[in-house]
Amino acid sequence: MKTVLMASAAILLAGTGLARAEDKTLTISVYALAQDEYKQIVYDPFEKICGCKLVVETGNSVERLAKMEANKANPVVDMAVVSMADGLNAARKGLIDKIDTSKIKSFNSLYDIAKDPNGDGMSVGYTFYATSIAYRSDKMKIDSWADLLKPEYASHIAWPNVTTNQGPPALYMLGQALGKDTPDLAAPIEAVGEKKDEIVTFYEKSSQLVQLMQQEEIWAAPIGRFSWAPFTKLSMPIAWATPKEGQTGGMNVMIVTKGSKNQDLALQFMDFWLSTDIQTKLAEKLVDSPANKDVKLSDAVANNLTYGEDTAKSLKLIPSAVALDNRAGWVKSWNAKVGQ
Amino acid sequence: MFQNRAEALALVLPAALFAAAVFLVPVVILLSDGFRDPTGGFSLAAYIEFFSSPLNQAVFLRTLKLGAMVTVVSAVIGYAAAFAIVGLTPTMKGRMTGLVVLPLMISPVARTYAWIVILGRTGIVNQAFQALGISDAPLRILFSETAIFIGLLQLFLPLMVISLISALENMPKDAVPAARVLGANWFQVFWKVILPLTREGLVIGGTLVFTGSLTAYITPAILGGSKVLMLETLMYQQVSVANNFVAASVIAFILIVMSFAANILLKRVATARNKVRSAK
Repeated sequence: MKTVLMASAAILLAGTGLARAEDKTLTISVYALAQDEYKQIVYDPFEKICGCKLVVETGNSVERLAKMEANKANPVVDMAVVSMADGLNAARKGLIDKIDTSKIKSFNSLYDIAKDPNGDGMSVGYTFYATSIAYRSDKMKIDSWADLLKPEYASHIAWPNVTTNQGPPALYMLGQALGKDTPDLAAPIEAVGEKKDEIVTFYEKSSQLVQLMQQEEIWAAPIGRFSWAPFTKLSMPIAWATPKEGQTGGMNVMIVTKGSKNQDLALQFMDFWLSTDIQTKLAEKLVDSPANKDVKLSDAVANNLTYGEDTAKSLKLIPSAVALDNRAGWVKSWNAKVGQ
Repeated sequence: MFQNRAEALALVLPAALFAAAVFLVPVVILLSDGFRDPTGGFSLAAYIEFFSSPLNQAVFLRTLKLGAMVTVVSAVIGYAAAFAIVGLTPTMKGRMTGLVVLPLMISPVARTYAWIVILGRTGIVNQAFQALGISDAPLRILFSETAIFIGLLQLFLPLMVISLISALENMPKDAVPAARVLGANWFQVFWKVILPLTREGLVIGGTLVFTGSLTAYITPAILGGSKVLMLETLMYQQVSVANNFVAASVIAFILIVMSFAANILLKRVATARNKVRSAK
């Protein structure tokens, strides 16, 4: 009887210990992409280190932000990754807290562009990408973003639709090339609208472009660096343009929910994710371009990513405030000038 | 067959409950968004806003036009094909029907991607046009209404052919020879004999083709892209990009109404012809 009692007590104690470990839970909200790789490289190793349970919620950033707003009074998510503009959006809505970067050891290893992308101390960049032009170097010469709209080229290009991630940055750079870079993107939208019948298509999925390029339907298209790899495998000369106005792109950031009870754990997780080791592993699997400047990559891997100090410095990103304040207006004027 | 109505109802109930829970209720909830103002009261503001946009008007008319064109052309081609197939020996009939059905077993994504190759500047259509001297330079067919039309026609023509084969098989065998003996030309045979006798098949096929064309997403998305928007691609944009579920529910409601309207219209046309025949 005594043995049975002792055994029961041991089981009970073990059970309580287990329950305590399970109590420590960090809920994160991320993009639904490459979750198998994230689980293997980031989530599982972190759970082992922290002795906590990681709950991962996925979805596009619009949905996830809407959910954070709905649960503002009683936050469910502790930490989230969103686009730079959505990071500012969350800050404006009072959904997030300032990030105590003193608790993130890897912070000083980040490229300057990633340290405080929105200038409000409320987000930290963890990956970014360049957007430039993939083009047939035997058919055309690209020195400027405006070259794409030249009469001899316009009927051989695909342009990203304004609703895609590449759309506004490409228009932004076209505006710079035209010397009319107002935040409403009026001049570049007008310029694209004038050529709308000639432009082959306004693409929504970059995956479609490889086939169009292969069957010579198009010679050029503005794309994100993350879609570049398949183009290099085509049996035709395709180059990545370095226009004189520079390259553009986008950045994704980490944010911490206001009122989260697990902020320290969230910061520990962010530090882990931003560490040189993890950022290197994510880059090697071509999941994310590293925001950590200590990451060293082989040429083969680097060629498929946005990598290096010079590249990071050369990126002309649309300021988040400009994107947020003008997004609806861009779609409206695009639909009026290009969509019909 | 059943002892009483209660028994029959009891058998239907599980299926009815399932359909109501997983289909009817969610659809009603989704569609009700379009009829509410921000305070929750009834409002048609979302519909007025939708139809006051020139872009939306153009997209609506294009969807209607392409749906109607695909239905009419598939009926014309479908009658010819079905008539030819019905006249074959039973073995050949089976084989030919199998060939008609075969494309339905292939994913629409694969079928539509094939059109990108076929209709491209270096595709077989342009090569043929140039070889025959129809055009000097490659024509731009992709990402146009023509491309969507071709894609939708190929996608839904089998449904029309199958419906018409079944209708033609049920037609009395002597009807056509009798009409010919009585002096009717082929147009009169079709218009006064075949069409009235196969109207059910035409209504079913027409409804399937028209509603299919209205609601197909992959074909207009791949062959038209955002350059040639249709209601279904516009709805996708509203949901996934603008996160505007109200506008999307307005479009969904419009598509449902258009589908029902097409069915009612086709039935009316068929019934009207029937009444005229009965009166005579």
